[in-house]
Amino acid sequence: MTSCLRDADDVHTHQARPVIALEGIHATVGDFELADISFVVPQGAYGIVIGPTGAGKTTLVESIAGLVPITRGRLTLGDTELTHAAPEQRRLSIVYQHAYLFPHLNVRENVGYGSTSSRVTVEMLERFGLGEVAGRDVRALSGGERQLVALARALARRPEVLLLDEPFAALDPRRRVTVRRELRTIYFERRFTVLQVTHDFHEAGLLGDVAMVLDRGRMLQVGEPEDLFRRPSTPVVADFLGAENVFAGVAQPIRDESPDWKPSTDAEDVEHAVAFTTRGITLYALGHVIPGAAHAVIRADDISLSRSAGASSVRNQFRGRVVEIASAGAITRVTVDVSGLQLVAAVTTRSVDELRIAPGVEVFAAFKATAVHLC
Amino acid sequence: MPAELTVEERRTPVAARGEGVLNVLVALAASLFLLFLVAPLVGLVGGGGVRGVRALATDAELRSSLALTIATATLATLLGIVGATPVAYALARGRFRGRAIVSAMIDLPLLIPHPVAGIALLLVLGRNTPLGSGLWALGLQITGSVTGIVCAMLFVSAPLYVSAAREAFDRVDPRFEGVARTLGDSRWRALRRVTLPLAWRGILAAAIVMWARAVSEFGAIVILVYHPRVASVLSYERFTAYGLREALPVAAILVLLALIPLALLRALRGDDLLPSRRR
Repeated sequence: MTSCLRDADDVHTHQARPVIALEGIHATVGDFELADISFVVPQGAYGIVIGPTGAGKTTLVESIAGLVPITRGRLTLGDTELTHAAPEQRRLSIVYQHAYLFPHLNVRENVGYGSTSSRVTVEMLERFGLGEVAGRDVRALSGGERQLVALARALARRPEVLLLDEPFAALDPRRRVTVRRELRTIYFERRFTVLQVTHDFHEAGLLGDVAMVLDRGRMLQVGEPEDLFRRPSTPVVADFLGAENVFAGVAQPIRDESPDWKPSTDAEDVEHAVAFTTRGITLYALGHVIPGAAHAVIRADDISLSRSAGASSVRNQFRGRVVEIASAGAITRVTVDVSGLQLVAAVTTRSVDELRIAPGVEVFAAFKATAVHLC
Repeated sequence: MPAELTVEERRTPVAARGEGVLNVLVALAASLFLLFLVAPLVGLVGGGGVRGVRALATDAELRSSLALTIATATLATLLGIVGATPVAYALARGRFRGRAIVSAMIDLPLLIPHPVAGIALLLVLGRNTPLGSGLWALGLQITGSVTGIVCAMLFVSAPLYVSAAREAFDRVDPRFEGVARTLGDSRWRALRRVTLPLAWRGILAAAIVMWARAVSEFGAIVILVYHPRVASVLSYERFTAYGLREALPVAAILVLLALIPLALLRALRGDDLLPSRRR
């Protein structure tokens, strides 16, 4: 999976100058504490903070914006250390889920509130298709229009960093697509840096160049979204990111070779073949692992199904019986019971029809050793 | 099989009768309470209203007393707005240590008997106190002066302003200010451009309540300043010197005066006059 926001000649390399850099940030709001948060979002990159409700996502963006004081740590925006700087000195804008349009000002006045010039205000109004409602009372706008006004207002300031706090969460699906499209288009043009928080892990894969998982005020993992999805650092991250197959078991490095894996030859990065046993079933994986208790994570779309034990070279192949089929458009999730272990495979609905897969049918589930992530 | 009974049918006749009696008792108690509140005021305006309005044309003492009352209450309110608005804002937004204590201290003047408030002020501002004698030396007399009236009014009515203005600020989500600040406003500029425009109705209502309370003050004023006489002191003096008949026009005028802030408050909350409609 790759970010749809990336161009072929991706400029979002991690060698780029960091725009948002947090080093061991702490912040407190009431009884809630955000602790030891560190990450970097490079210039022009789209950063995503993912976390469940109550994880501290809003506190995090508000501490970056200077609206919640940072009690410890260091915040750098661009080349300037701004840990304790006033919000107006930070050259960033924030868009909340509920827009927070100033109700005593009309649409034009809202967009122009922090605008660099009246020309930019007009440009933003036209850009977001708000020219016709420019004189309207913001309380009369629809949810989607309100969010477009909030985005136009934030961007009219020409910020270096745009902070988005669940900007699409309050919108209906159709509006969400429209607003997201507008944001994406202007992001491509301007290449400002974005940090968006969301509880929706699909958005991370859809938009993000770099993703952070936050839970209960602590940063659990930072990396590219693909990495997070494929190699979650803990079962909690795997579970939150929607991994269907997360199993507890025991890992043991083995000396083995198999056609579907190729251990690294780099002396400092030796990956071992690993046997992972869970509920009496042994899966084969590849990775750095300390022998003992571990978790195995397998993405559902890495598991293929067939009606017969084929000539597949994959190391992990199990016979089981279909117990559940859940179809969602082109993709169907098939749950296969393998001697008590429930494996969920995401396959195309078409192949389910072609293979005549139905509850009770015997199938073979196969996946590569490299598809098994141990944490 | 019999049809299922409705809630109405399931209630026994005894229970229904009991509820009926309770309804009558509650309605009776509410009516008596309203009568208790309204009857004296209606009687006062009915008995002295016309004479009071006529007296405005003929009674110079009443006119000057009313003018003094309105002027001092207005001055006290303006001082309250200047001094107490930052306090109300700090209490609404600040998360400082001792906030609960400050809040309680501000409410205290509302809870003590007003003559006691007057005595407390006398202890600090009286001519024989260090502060009072210092102010006297600077030519600022508190006791027996217009300044004293303003002080007494400010002391007893400002807590109402702080409380209502704080509520007005509380009703403005701090995130509006936060957004304004990320859009380039300093704290003061955000306050002026966003918070005050959103809170002004509540702040104005708070000022009106304070003004009305200042106009009606008697106990604290009479301890500090007997002369010059504000309207409440004048009505008391006429009552003690000449009896009810002479006090009635002044008292009725004070009730009519109270209708002005009441009407203003109602106008500010305009839609409150209309029954709410469910959408």
